[in-house]
Amino acid sequence: MSSAAPPRPPRSALPLQLAGLALLLLLAVVLGTGLGSVMVPPGEVLGALWRGLSGQELVGNDVIVWQIRLPRVVMGVLVGASLGVCGGAFQGVFRNPLADPYLLGVASGGALGATAVIVGGGPRPLIPAAALLGALGAVTTTLMLAREGRRLPPTRLVLAGVVVGSVLSAISTALLLRGEDRAREVLAYTLGDLGFSGWREVGAVVPYVGLGAGALLLLARALDTLQLGELTARSLGVPVERLRLLVIGAASLATAGAVAYVGIIGFVGLLVPHVVRLAFGAGHRTLLPLSALLGGTLVVLADLLARTTPLSQVGIVTTLLGGPFFLWLLRRTRD
Amino acid sequence: MNRALTLTAALCAALSAAASATTYPLTLTDDLGRKVTLKAEPKRIVSMLPSTSETLCALAACDKLVGVDDYSDYPAYVTKLPKMGGLYNPNVEAIVARKPDLVLVSKYGKLAEPLTQAGITVIAVNPETYDEVFSKTLLLGKIVNREAQAKALVTSMKREIAKVEILTKTAVNKPTAYFEIDPTPYSIGPNSFMGTLLTKAGARNIIPATMGDFPKVDPEFIVKQNPQLILGVDAATAGARPGWNTITALKTGKVINVPKELNTILGRPGPRLPQALRGLAKLVHPELFK
Repeated sequence: MSSAAPPRPPRSALPLQLAGLALLLLLAVVLGTGLGSVMVPPGEVLGALWRGLSGQELVGNDVIVWQIRLPRVVMGVLVGASLGVCGGAFQGVFRNPLADPYLLGVASGGALGATAVIVGGGPRPLIPAAALLGALGAVTTTLMLAREGRRLPPTRLVLAGVVVGSVLSAISTALLLRGEDRAREVLAYTLGDLGFSGWREVGAVVPYVGLGAGALLLLARALDTLQLGELTARSLGVPVERLRLLVIGAASLATAGAVAYVGIIGFVGLLVPHVVRLAFGAGHRTLLPLSALLGGTLVVLADLLARTTPLSQVGIVTTLLGGPFFLWLLRRTRD
Repeated sequence: MNRALTLTAALCAALSAAASATTYPLTLTDDLGRKVTLKAEPKRIVSMLPSTSETLCALAACDKLVGVDDYSDYPAYVTKLPKMGGLYNPNVEAIVARKPDLVLVSKYGKLAEPLTQAGITVIAVNPETYDEVFSKTLLLGKIVNREAQAKALVTSMKREIAKVEILTKTAVNKPTAYFEIDPTPYSIGPNSFMGTLLTKAGARNIIPATMGDFPKVDPEFIVKQNPQLILGVDAATAGARPGWNTITALKTGKVINVPKELNTILGRPGPRLPQALRGLAKLVHPELFK
């Protein structure tokens, strides 16, 4: 990350920046796979990866590296990348620096679904389905409430999202207080948890993140045009309402998929795009892919800290470390 | 020799005097660190902890109870008493309306202050460790003027526990065990109340004391420790977790979900502690209880 980079770099800088952040992500993945609460020597880690990849029989600590740690790290990359891209796209489409992927009620809807299953004593495999249902239900409700004829004014969307989120959170809390002995489980969910993410869970999340985040990356150019103002964008032939709906749909899909399997990892969607913007400029064709890489890096490192220190939950780490870093960056780049 | 005898006699006399009756006013420091004075023997008690309700009834002071918290459900007598809410949502008005002369609370709620301001005597009693189950039983005995009963209860509890320990101590194979208290997953350290029972039941806890009493555990640590026995999860759930099918307990079918009734008394540091231990020991060493 070169801090000397100009605020609007020429397009030729993108490959270099992509390579740089990809390297950072790779480093995070190596650290995340190599370190953990169980000490596995680097040679054994490599051996485990080789045996896992080539489908050989797993021996010794292989199970820990191949079946527990690596899928957990991959899940971190997927979720972090998706939160980063969605955050960047949301801030762009709402032209609001405070927008993040949870803005329209995805997080509180997902939490309500999960809470209902946990407190109701339902089977654990039901949690992701309920969370997904809650998340998508919440977004749909927000969209219906914010709609003005065929238009979707951003201010109404944000307000409706905040209200839907608050109402759903209140219901979750009421449920939680009725089932006090399940409180810790619900709390862990709302602070994000990659704990039991195996290959099966990774496989379940891939379609949501791939579809959602992929679509957002394709919409980058249109998002750039939108930054010139709604009227200008319209006059340039951008179907503003449809674009808005597309971005919201894609981001909600990706976020809901992530929320369903790992709970709510706060602050990544807000923090990462801002860091990228401050360091590399605001164009969405730069912003979105770089946010994906940095988001993945952040969540993988945060989860590494969560499972090796008493901070214990990935969402706590992203907020505790991300917050001060963001403030520092903000002060440094103030003009 | 003579002096020793005299001393012993004096000691005995002092002890029996202490055992006979509590003298009021009684001043004590409760588990919130407050100095509380009881002017007279309490006759109308509200208990806001299930373990406290059980202890009072085991001390033959059940008839002093005029209200209990929502979770008190044993013995059957207390289920008929008016419910006064839970730890986080106590019904202060209902408690005051019962005109209690003593309310026994948990140190974790916020009941002490409003009730004290309403002029009601409040004592926080929270047994948390294994040893505290006995010391708090004796304390409750003193508070409700049932000291002799409290001593007898402690003696009989210890005798029942010894009966189980005689069996589990001689067990040849003590399985390494992982006890899950919630699927986040949280487990129990060896110094916690449940951890002490697990050890006494003849298991070797895979959680070291250094991890604390109720640690959140990294799943890869559990796979590494490779326990021979897993308690608190059902086999299907455990088997579905990434990498867990390699754990010895899963291979040998030693994954046991603790029955609800046993789980309740395991989490209740009260007079049914011997039953809790016996139930747990039966799960760990079924061969000893044939």
